[in-house]
Amino acid sequence: MPIYKVEVLITNKPLAKDPEGETIHRDLLLRSGFSCVKKVRVGKLLMMDIEAGSEEEAKEKAFKACNDLRIYNPVAHTYRIEIRGVEQ
Amino acid sequence: MNLRVAVLKFPGSNCDLDVVHVLRNVIGIHAELVWHKEFTSNDWDAVILPGGFSYGDYLRAGIIAAHSPAMKHVKEMAKEGKPVLGICNGFQILVEAGLLPGSLLPNNTLTFICKWVNIRTETNRTAFTRKIKPGTVLKIPIAHKEGRYYIDEKELRELEENDQIVFRYCDENGNLSEDANPNGSIGNIAGVTNLEGNVVGLMPHPERASEKILSPYGTEDGKLLFLSMVETLRRGAL
Amino acid sequence: MIPEYVSLTEEEVRLIREKLGREPNLVEWGMFDVMWSEHISYKSSKPLIKLLPTKADYVIVGPGQDAGVIDIGDGYAIVLKIESHNHPSAIDPYNGAATGVGGIIRDILAMGGKPIALLDSLRFGPPTDPHCVWLLKNVVRGIADYGNCIGVPTVAGEVEFDESFRVNCLVNVGCVGLARKDHIIPSRFIDEGDLIIVVGGSTGRDGIRGASFASKTLGPESESDRPAVQVGDPFTEKLLIDAMVEAIEKGYIKAAKDLGGGGLTCAVTEMAADGDKGVEIEISNLHLREEGMTPYEIMLSESQERMLISIHPKNLENVKRIFEKYDLPYAILGKVTNTGRVIVKFHGEVVADLPAKLVAKAPVIERKARKPEYIDELRKIEKPEQPDDLSDTILRLLSSPNIASKAWVYTQYDHEVGVRTVVKPGQGDAAVLRIHEIEKAVGITIDGNSKHTYLDPYNGAAGSLAEACRNLVAVGAKPLAFVDEANFGNPEKPEIFWQFSQAFHGLSMMAKGLNIPCVGGKVSFYNEDETTGTSVKPTMVIAAVGIIETYNWIRTMDLKEPGNLIGIVGVTKGDMGGSEYYYWIHKIVGGEPPKADPYLEKSSMNFVLEGIKRGYIVSAHDISHGGFATAICEMAVKGNKGVIIDLEKIPHEKGLRLDEILFSESYARFLVEIRRDSVKDLIKLAREKSAIFGLIGRVTSEKNVVMHYGEKKIVLNLRDARDSLENGLKKHLRGV
Repeated sequence: MPIYKVEVLITNKPLAKDPEGETIHRDLLLRSGFSCVKKVRVGKLLMMDIEAGSEEEAKEKAFKACNDLRIYNPVAHTYRIEIRGVEQ
Repeated sequence: MNLRVAVLKFPGSNCDLDVVHVLRNVIGIHAELVWHKEFTSNDWDAVILPGGFSYGDYLRAGIIAAHSPAMKHVKEMAKEGKPVLGICNGFQILVEAGLLPGSLLPNNTLTFICKWVNIRTETNRTAFTRKIKPGTVLKIPIAHKEGRYYIDEKELRELEENDQIVFRYCDENGNLSEDANPNGSIGNIAGVTNLEGNVVGLMPHPERASEKILSPYGTEDGKLLFLSMVETLRRGAL
Repeated sequence: MIPEYVSLTEEEVRLIREKLGREPNLVEWGMFDVMWSEHISYKSSKPLIKLLPTKADYVIVGPGQDAGVIDIGDGYAIVLKIESHNHPSAIDPYNGAATGVGGIIRDILAMGGKPIALLDSLRFGPPTDPHCVWLLKNVVRGIADYGNCIGVPTVAGEVEFDESFRVNCLVNVGCVGLARKDHIIPSRFIDEGDLIIVVGGSTGRDGIRGASFASKTLGPESESDRPAVQVGDPFTEKLLIDAMVEAIEKGYIKAAKDLGGGGLTCAVTEMAADGDKGVEIEISNLHLREEGMTPYEIMLSESQERMLISIHPKNLENVKRIFEKYDLPYAILGKVTNTGRVIVKFHGEVVADLPAKLVAKAPVIERKARKPEYIDELRKIEKPEQPDDLSDTILRLLSSPNIASKAWVYTQYDHEVGVRTVVKPGQGDAAVLRIHEIEKAVGITIDGNSKHTYLDPYNGAAGSLAEACRNLVAVGAKPLAFVDEANFGNPEKPEIFWQFSQAFHGLSMMAKGLNIPCVGGKVSFYNEDETTGTSVKPTMVIAAVGIIETYNWIRTMDLKEPGNLIGIVGVTKGDMGGSEYYYWIHKIVGGEPPKADPYLEKSSMNFVLEGIKRGYIVSAHDISHGGFATAICEMAVKGNKGVIIDLEKIPHEKGLRLDEILFSESYARFLVEIRRDSVKDLIKLAREKSAIFGLIGRVTSEKNVVMHYGEKKIVLNLRDARDSLENGLKKHLRGV
């Protein structure tokens, strides 16, 4: 079966506070003159190599792992799963 | 001789008052808490960057404070050969600001660790260890989540050749063992210095180990770092 | 016309319409909904809370304001509070626990105190359940990350595992602050014309109706109650602490309150009602984080890291300067009036106009109480058989999750920051912080016993307070005051309300008997799993503070010197009900639980405290969870010394079995280490204090614990005991 390169990005829900992103934006970027940067949000990136029959299946497996093992907490987080490549 | 030591406070620093307390009430010298916005290098004979969570340790411990305008003045003082001490978060800031070599990564346990450890003094050529005989084991507590010292092989060898390693985690007999290493630091390194020996950074908190009543062992080893600093200032440059 | 989310009763709705004389608008309904919720108004519990004694000549502020304040002499005071964040933590343990810490810190600041210590009391389901381990790990991480970041040491706590906390974990946090007596600030508005300012983090749609959320039980749809759990920002909190401490020291602040449960609504209505004042505020001035927020949302938002202060107008530039120094956002909302009405404007238009006292004081609800059947049923259980190998039993008990060392937890907390922590976690029954400003020290502890309280709410709650006081005495502290957190199920069920009522009667009895005032408390109801109807075991968690007038009186539990003698204070009885021994070894929760007796407690405590002060007692340890066997092993392991004990010398009830002597959790008992030359004096003191005292053995330099009982001999290798205690928790936690 092919090996899919799957990336799972976990961030706080868009309406939840992101103190880390806000602080990096305000106290690091803006203070150092990068006023072109309007917003910063911070997340956790997991890069997983997943053996699966199809892209769909690989995404499903990634989601199941993150959900069942509470890698992401649906109450606080939102997630984005993308396929970055495949190895045969 | 009127010694004036600054304790530099960033937003989020939280061991600042502890350091001021030790300097004033235990060592007996003039120490002042200086807010980062008001810090300049002219007024001070030495500066201490205390522990804490500057800028919440957001992004990476010490990185945001390292870009602060106050650090320009710290760099000036370092260049002038004045004693500069970075404790815990202070060490992280000095490293991120390029004043000390290496990097401080998350502990290999991935948790915050607060406990008393033993550290062996490797050299007495620095402004903060001149009163400590090399080989002396000090009992000092650590409290950090990102304290794993890391540097690549080549630079590590340079550190060793240049006598820049100041403290290493050890057991109570001074032996470097894996068990004695609380966070996975390479070479059990707990503290380093620059080439000149006036800038020192360490992860353990000497201000928490300067009074017997606070030590589970009844020791006051932390005092030696501050007394060394006073000695350095009284004797002039290193 | 009532919005569907409003969860007031029909009678409450009728009353509001009648007293107001008109129909409230949407914003006003929202304000009543949150202010008259159980969590904010205490409508079910007020009559019982009134039973507790609250006065002493050293109590500066009792219950009713943001925190209690106790005079410790020489111009200083201790500020004390306890709070729970049970429901949010059950859903989002990391943020739930973190924001719990944030809230209580602000309560301390609101009284003019600088937070100097945190305590945590945590209860989870069995550690073999991955869900419970997930909760435990993340709650601890949440408290650690937040507490460490703000630089307040977490110095004391407890962790208990029990079936009933599987879905509804309990997360109770205590906080101690230090204040100068002349800088204590009330939580009520003082003068007409005072300016009202909100400072701290920006306001968003966080936690809207969170307070009403805590007033409902957890069901399967709770996980999707998205707005209910907020993300904490300890960095902003730290800036808030520094700014508030500076403003307080300079005397700029007249009154202050945390914006916590119930948000802005709760703060302004309570401060106005308590001060016999009114307010006029323009809420569009508030610094907001989200677009298009409605007045309803602004009034009810529970965004974290915000405080409300009121100042004399002459100090406006002064406080602005401080807030700007720390880059803390702030908003001038309005002013204090004399009208007694809370008038809220939004872009100039009045969106709410209510009498403060009507909103702030919900009518009391009379609840029915009925004794549950299980109380009598569980008393009559069959006595389990005594195990053959008692040393093995002791080791198993030592390594049980409830008894074993919690070092895994507290090493994640910075317990040294502030350079005040003299007795650190694990060294004594309570933590000791020095107040070096005045060369005194304070002992602080947090304790509860869910099994005892379940089997006998009256005695269990009383016993929890007694244990907290004994823990203070064991480190040399004279108990001064306490705060209580009552954790119960659904009060609408008569059986639960019976537990609640009994518990308060018992707590009140012990408080009066020990002469120790309650300076605050909180109630957490609805800790019940909606799907199964199981309620948590009722737990009265007590956080208490004691004073140590001189550093010489500070004690720890580790045995100090071979040759010293060991004594036991108090009588051991066969009241095994609710004991860790029955639970862990025999899998029983039942039997006769210990009875709490304030007279016995007083004589034991006075004796031990005086014995410590005179230098006769060099180490002390309260006997509680796990009984005598656990206590003596803990003292031996921590001191790395051996002991020889003659169990027959332990003063006990007639007819006790050996295992009962070893594992009974009778109250009012201590173990003490004494120097030989102090024995005579100590025995004389015991007689003077009417304390029951027996010499039972001595400290040795052998590395084992040896206990004789007639012909029988129980021997434990110190190394095995240490291994059980130190590694017990890790062994049982899956995936740690």
